[in-house]
Amino acid sequence: MIKHLKIIDYALTSILRRRNKSLAIISAFTVVVTALASILLFSNSLKKEAASLLASAPDLIVQRTMGGRHELIPTDYAAQIRKIHGVGEVNARYWGYYYDALTGANFTVLGTEGNPETLQLLEGRLPAGEGECAIGAGVANLKNTGTGGELILVDSSNTGVLYEVTGVFRADSSLLTNDLIVLSNDAIKGFFGLPPGKATDVAVQVFNENELQTVAAKVKRLLPDSRPITRTELVRTYDMVFNWRSGMMLSVFGAALIAFCILAWDKATGISADEKQEIGILKAIGWDTSEVLALKFWEGVIIALTSYLLGTIAGYLHIFVFNAFLLAPVIKGWSVVFPDFHLTPHLDPYLFFTLGFLTIAPYVASTVIPAWKTAITDPDTIMRG
Amino acid sequence: MERSAYIIRTHHVKKVYNPGKPDEMTALHDISVEIERGGITVLQGPSGSGKTSLLSAIGCMSRPTEGKIFVDGKDVVKLPERFLTEMRRNKFGFIFQQYHLIRSLSVLDNIVLPLCPTDLPPAEMKERALAVMDRFSITEKKKMKVKFLSGGEQQRVAIARALINNPDVIIADEPTAHLDKKLAAEFMDILAALCGENRTVVIATHDAFVYEHSLVGKIIAMRDGRLAGAH
Repeated sequence: MIKHLKIIDYALTSILRRRNKSLAIISAFTVVVTALASILLFSNSLKKEAASLLASAPDLIVQRTMGGRHELIPTDYAAQIRKIHGVGEVNARYWGYYYDALTGANFTVLGTEGNPETLQLLEGRLPAGEGECAIGAGVANLKNTGTGGELILVDSSNTGVLYEVTGVFRADSSLLTNDLIVLSNDAIKGFFGLPPGKATDVAVQVFNENELQTVAAKVKRLLPDSRPITRTELVRTYDMVFNWRSGMMLSVFGAALIAFCILAWDKATGISADEKQEIGILKAIGWDTSEVLALKFWEGVIIALTSYLLGTIAGYLHIFVFNAFLLAPVIKGWSVVFPDFHLTPHLDPYLFFTLGFLTIAPYVASTVIPAWKTAITDPDTIMRG
Repeated sequence: MERSAYIIRTHHVKKVYNPGKPDEMTALHDISVEIERGGITVLQGPSGSGKTSLLSAIGCMSRPTEGKIFVDGKDVVKLPERFLTEMRRNKFGFIFQQYHLIRSLSVLDNIVLPLCPTDLPPAEMKERALAVMDRFSITEKKKMKVKFLSGGEQQRVAIARALINNPDVIIADEPTAHLDKKLAAEFMDILAALCGENRTVVIATHDAFVYEHSLVGKIIAMRDGRLAGAH
């Protein structure tokens, strides 16, 4: 034990002795780790956000399509779906997107009735009448308003409508409510100019989760112009989108990591004459090959661990404090860029293990293996150069 | 069992560098020598005569291509690497021609380096180092980086490092090559003291001041990798 502590101490001294070289390697390595950590933390948090959003989504959403495009659905479809065995509550939903030219942001406008569990307010209450609305934190921020304030929106007939803000949503999942404007069902129908007897889609509750696919198939048979979407399909789609985007980014930065490892390998295989000489001296004065390798191993671990910690902290700050300003446009996609929202940190130990494995292991290997080539040589041969 | 009078014996040792390559070079041809316990033995000869190659081989720093080397009666040529390391760590202390100190380390750190891969507590390591530093009057320089020392001081650090493990055999390669007459005389005094402690000293040199010194017990002359005589 004492022996290993002394070797670690000597490894630390060696790194400090080669201060400039060590600093250069740690800086480059930290940048690579920061990039990888940012991608993993960002995509992981987005997936977690999406999962928390979808946890409260309906079991089944029924849309109507025409020519492959989403169309408004007749509200009497809801009554027909309700008759299917195993179906619980069925509600027509009214929602749409609103582009605010003043702020250049996209908002989601949703109609509601009663007090939905999924929409928990930070303060105030949900809208009760036509002149009222509740808004997400992002909207409140962008429009510089809040509970008791006013919000002016332009409706489908290009007329400005004034709403009183009755509440602001909690930001448990900011992805869920950040860009949301909630109106009463009657108000939203008027705002978007929805024709009578038409809704955006229909939300369906299915008693037995195992029967979801069967109910979806029955809906499709009953209403041939409908498109039933199960919650599982939504989860899969979100996962695929974020995995694809983060995978693309990982490929790019994975290439950067490989390039760094090749550089490190090249650096290490071309061990400087001084370092070679030092290995020769250590062997000549009684260090064993395994002890020289332990020294090189700890040098690699100290550098890689320092870079890993710095890179992970920098990645965390980039994503959760500085709002992922470098990555957001690539991974989130255009549709959810506005308004900006802060991700809730979801720290997964498996993610940190993966990141550590991807960064520390290759670097340590790329420093120990070349040193091993020198360490197994006779000290006399090493010192003769 | 009675200890042999010879601490080291070589038997028909041959050393070939880069065998089978265009730059193949035979440094030692059929060398059989005996080194007595507790005295000063000098390998004498001009540059390129094979002195350093023979020192490396008997000091377990390289393996001969052919032949046997006995240290304390044990053939070390066929021993696994870790036994050779043990030999270098416990049996031998090396003083190299270029000193081979780690220039960016302090005097103290250089001296304790052989003890680093051992379970000796740091306090004891330091205690031992201070004792040898005191002996060679370099205690005041213990925190100074080696690169700032004079040649004579560097050599004393190298000697201190060679002695920190309390070895039986001191191996010195051209130890006076970079020293003036006064420092060379001082060095010989140090060797005399080491012999007084019943250590064996083997020196490779072409310096007449060393091999003609009254303390030298045996001279093994070498020319072109061959023995040219012993007396």
